[in-house]
Amino acid sequence: MILIITASIIGVVLLFASFLLKHTSSLLHLVTVLFAALFGVAIWEALQPTAILTQSFYLDAIRVDRFTNQFNVLITGCLFLYILLMKKHIAAVGKYKAEYFALIAFIMVGIFMLSSFNSLLVMFLGIEIVSIPQYILAGSDKENLKSTEASLKYFLMGAFSTGFLLMGITLLYGATGNFMVSEFNFLQATSINPIALGGVLLLIVAFGFKVSAAPMHLWTPDVYDGTPTPFTAFMATIVKVAAFVGFMRLFQTSFTAISSSWSLVLAVVIALTLFVGNITAVFQQSVKRMLAYSSIAQAGFMLFAIISLNAIGRQGMLVYTVAYSVASICFFAILIKMKDYTYDGFNGLAKKQPFIAALATIYMLSLAGIPLTGGFMAKYYMLKAVLFEGSYMWLAIFALLMAAVSVYYYFKVIIAMYFKEGEAAMIDSFTKEEKLYLTIGALALLVVGIFPSLLTGTI
Amino acid sequence: MNPHQLVFWILSVIAIGGALGVILSRNPVASVLFLIVTFFAVSGHYILLNAQFLAIVNIIVYAGAIMVLFLYVIMLMNLNGDVEPQKSKLLQFAGIISGGILFLVLLAAFKTTQLSTTPINASTSIGLISELGQVLFTRFVFPFEISSILFLSAMVGAVVIGKKD
Repeated sequence: MILIITASIIGVVLLFASFLLKHTSSLLHLVTVLFAALFGVAIWEALQPTAILTQSFYLDAIRVDRFTNQFNVLITGCLFLYILLMKKHIAAVGKYKAEYFALIAFIMVGIFMLSSFNSLLVMFLGIEIVSIPQYILAGSDKENLKSTEASLKYFLMGAFSTGFLLMGITLLYGATGNFMVSEFNFLQATSINPIALGGVLLLIVAFGFKVSAAPMHLWTPDVYDGTPTPFTAFMATIVKVAAFVGFMRLFQTSFTAISSSWSLVLAVVIALTLFVGNITAVFQQSVKRMLAYSSIAQAGFMLFAIISLNAIGRQGMLVYTVAYSVASICFFAILIKMKDYTYDGFNGLAKKQPFIAALATIYMLSLAGIPLTGGFMAKYYMLKAVLFEGSYMWLAIFALLMAAVSVYYYFKVIIAMYFKEGEAAMIDSFTKEEKLYLTIGALALLVVGIFPSLLTGTI
Repeated sequence: MNPHQLVFWILSVIAIGGALGVILSRNPVASVLFLIVTFFAVSGHYILLNAQFLAIVNIIVYAGAIMVLFLYVIMLMNLNGDVEPQKSKLLQFAGIISGGILFLVLLAAFKTTQLSTTPINASTSIGLISELGQVLFTRFVFPFEISSILFLSAMVGAVVIGKKD
């Protein structure tokens, strides 16, 4: 709860900083301190003795439970890593340096709302607070036509999906007569109200848009490709995971009783997402575009947490948060230094920068889901969650097949780095701090891969 | 048919006719004018539901401010001709099929729903401003206050996007 207030204050402070601080370096120091403070507040909140209980705030509009606290710590940790690695690049995107960081802080407000809402109104506002600053960040590179296109496309698609979301909320409200997620009691009704089912269907579509699940994924490659790379790294990781947590929270608390009515729809969406994401990623030439499709493919795995409706799925979501976000953020931090975003741009990186190439290999292995890395454990928990329920065996087998396909395009980067001759031209060299942060990211992935119980043990 | 129902049916016909006009007219300016008609009809429905404040706000904000802005943009960009590129037949067909399926699903849902026949016991002052304020500052205080963050970020965005470098 204090986290939401802190993030709002950070945003406002940064807006003031935009005209009070003249030097970029002092702004970047302030940003580091503020986001470190946010991380600190998240940890402090999770360490409170009451953190393991479910607490409600503001007449039950918000309900903070153990999962919320754990997720908030992990996501602010990922955000801090992102800020440390990317702050220089964010400041280089355009003229409005402090505003970009302020918008990121506002997005965090929305993310904390998504991880703790108990009212559909709060959920809707959370999604909008997350979305609207993203449209702006997508178009922040105003000189670049592709960035503007990405922004407009994202805005139109996002507004369209918001329409679905609102219609779904309206139908649910009409059918049940309340906004409180925890009070939808479909079991008590003698027959399920069909209008509520229509609402659930529309909510699946709307959330599918936000998490880029096929067939609602068509905006993703263009938007992720056109957006300035530092912001793509944010949108594809932290924001996406938060949207998943909102999705999971809504469906696990409210729609478990009627899961037989919607789980088949979701299963088809998952299968399509895995297929489209992985198969299209194989044919990409640009690594940035490949990462966009890979984020669709990973979304397919994350959707398992929603269809499985059990505690293992929630644990898997936490592991996935760390494994996917950290690996992607760190790899984006390497990609951003490359001159050429195609696979050929990575040729010969191992000779020139052996340490960076080794780290990049770890990130790629984790995204592909090779054992001993966090990505393996994330995928393992998701499959375990869905197999535990027992009804979607075919989906799990299909997911395994698709994970095998994904190894191809992740390894293409490793092969380019190690086994091909080339220049691997870079715009900028890595500073000592950046190397340190990248190493911390890689170590985090390995630790999660070997001791996943550090994250999941307490749920 | 009592006068209340008569007004309801007249407003409904205007609202649906206006909405069809928005999507069927080829001229964007005519579309916007039809949309204003629709908003007025919907405001009429709000008054029938005893929500006077919502009705007024709907007219002031949507029919007043936003639609004038729309008209302004359309006229500034000189879009008042039929300039929309024609979509391919296949795309149109796919659109009709998928839209029709969604319509069918929702229609079927509404058809099988049992409408409750017991009237809701609400006080007559439910749509008045004082009632709305009471609810906004008690039950919905969190969503109400937090929406300021949404508007603040939208304003920041307008400056970031709109200001000349």
